[in-house]
Amino acid sequence: MYKYHDNDTKFIDQRHNQFKKQVTRYFDNELSDDQFRSIRLRNGLYQELHAYMLRVLIPYGSLNSKQLNQLGLIADKYDRGYGHFTTRQNIQFNWIDLSQINSIIADLAKVNMHAIQSSGKTVRNISADPLSGIRKDEVADARPYCELIRQWFTLHPEFSWLPGKFKIAINGSENDEIGIQFNDLGLQLVLNDKHELGFSVYAGGGLGAAPMLAPKIKSFVPEIDILSYIESVLRVYNLYGKRDNDKRLRIKFLVKRLGIEKFHDLVEKDWLSSRDDDEIKLNISKLDKIKKDFIAPIKPITSKNIEQRVDFNYTIWKSNNVSDNKVKGYSIVSVSLTQIGSAPGNIDSDQLRHLSALASKYSLNEVRTTKNQDIVFPYVRNEDLYELWQQLEMFDLSSPHNSTFAHIVSCPGADYCSLAKAVSIPVSKRIQNRFIENGLLFEIGELNLHISGCENSCAHHHVADIGLLGLNKGKEDYYQITLGGRTKNDTKLGKKLGRAIASVDVVDAVEKIVNVYVNNKQQGENFNQLFNRIGIKLFKEAVYA
Amino acid sequence: MLNSKEKTYKLLHIEQWLIEKSGDSNETNGILVRPTDDVESLFVTLKQAPLVAFDFNNFDDGRSYSQVKLLKKRLGYQGEIRALNVHIDHLQFIFRSGIDSYELLPEYKQYNEDYAIDFSICYQAAENNSGLIEQHKFG
Repeated sequence: MYKYHDNDTKFIDQRHNQFKKQVTRYFDNELSDDQFRSIRLRNGLYQELHAYMLRVLIPYGSLNSKQLNQLGLIADKYDRGYGHFTTRQNIQFNWIDLSQINSIIADLAKVNMHAIQSSGKTVRNISADPLSGIRKDEVADARPYCELIRQWFTLHPEFSWLPGKFKIAINGSENDEIGIQFNDLGLQLVLNDKHELGFSVYAGGGLGAAPMLAPKIKSFVPEIDILSYIESVLRVYNLYGKRDNDKRLRIKFLVKRLGIEKFHDLVEKDWLSSRDDDEIKLNISKLDKIKKDFIAPIKPITSKNIEQRVDFNYTIWKSNNVSDNKVKGYSIVSVSLTQIGSAPGNIDSDQLRHLSALASKYSLNEVRTTKNQDIVFPYVRNEDLYELWQQLEMFDLSSPHNSTFAHIVSCPGADYCSLAKAVSIPVSKRIQNRFIENGLLFEIGELNLHISGCENSCAHHHVADIGLLGLNKGKEDYYQITLGGRTKNDTKLGKKLGRAIASVDVVDAVEKIVNVYVNNKQQGENFNQLFNRIGIKLFKEAVYA
Repeated sequence: MLNSKEKTYKLLHIEQWLIEKSGDSNETNGILVRPTDDVESLFVTLKQAPLVAFDFNNFDDGRSYSQVKLLKKRLGYQGEIRALNVHIDHLQFIFRSGIDSYELLPEYKQYNEDYAIDFSICYQAAENNSGLIEQHKFG
């Protein structure tokens, strides 16, 4: 993991002192609501339906056990005893009182955490594959680049007042688990013909009301030039991105308006005039130093004779939630935060503390957050798996749902979010319950369902096998269904099934869709393959018959 | 009108500046760039301008920062760059952007510069690199 330096701690404190003064000015009526809004968002603070919400940054999903423990304390002290892990690897607290904000920020700073640029029209948290550094098929670990790029664009003097938010994702493996093409800027680590390391660059992706997959704008940028290339993309966006239409702020609209070629040419022209500036070349010797922080702190081990367990629940959990670490003798454990009946991504303070203790004991103090709102333990000895599972059981953290249908991804929805048009969490609970009742859950196999409460698409419903988008028609919630979206190697947006479905009928509709899948799938065929083979017709007939 | 280096300049918008430059040159004219302007249109005549000013009145608009960057780096401008209508919350960025002088909006008259100096360190090279942390120094 990245090791925080004194300077990093100092920087967080200095930002906090600045924000304190700004909050005081707001209370003294020296800052307008609009100005304060712009400032507080840059510090992760939203004003929601019932309270303020604080989004705490978890850089590229990397957390240590001390930080987890502190998040538990914050959940108890300032929230109602829980937090919500987001699809961009951060954590949110939903019941924040503005008068306590300084005290929360101070408590976060004690463990080098903060909310700087977790929101607002800035460069946001940078996403990385939660299995970075521990997978077998990796070109290079994305996290050292995430950290350097995160630092470089923190309070950058030129790029702190962008037209809209700017999300970067970096992928280091051949399998794209983070969906780089639905970020504003997606970077894929690649080796060129000469075996030199660099990035393929995708720009202008995003979900939301006008989903767009980012086109590739550059096949190879040498690693040493990546900062200047990102600066050039940001400069073109900063200068030409629309600022007068709230619905057209993201870079995807600029790429669309200019056309890929013209956008590429503008970036290229800028880059050719700035890339040779020594100051902006990535410092390779210092990068190598940071890379050392991220090397997996484990050596191959030969496990003792591991006793075979015949516990049914353990066996299911192990087959769904455990995978091999690239280092022999170690496993990667995924803790699903989708206990049946609870809100996806939600976690209470006892669970946070318990996970913290377990991470210390079984995973060398480290966990990762994921875009599917899980917690990953990266370094678990194979011989500890059964014991860890038992410990997870004690705090309702042993859901064997990873990559099964019960693992629903959901935003907070209209229960919490002022932007949402419909509820998300209650629908996810109803769907989970239905599939437990009908006994289909483990028969279905790998299938994913995402629910977003509005077009902002925080739950990434466009790229799910089954996507639900909340709409509001009069007094009732409706859901627009999309099918056949996917990420990984071949990102695709889902297709609309047809007219939106009323909340009362939506669980039936999902069940009908799943039945079409189960009844028609061939041996080993996943939902996406089936959808490509049979198309949307049968699904339409089943749902709207 | 605005005073700089004990000289008084008349500020012209880019279009006007380009017209005047085609006739007699007037050394008391400076340029006022708006966020929507294309600074690269100044390419030929820019060197004759003793001062270029940018308007930072819109709290959320960061275009001027990139315009300043183009002016200095791509067009090689060496005269004075001044920020007008500056909000105090922008000063930390103004200080590091290669802007030579600034004028705060009148509503901030009770604040002095010390108010805005919150940071002793920074994470990226820019025009002013005091406080740049070690791992982002080149070489």
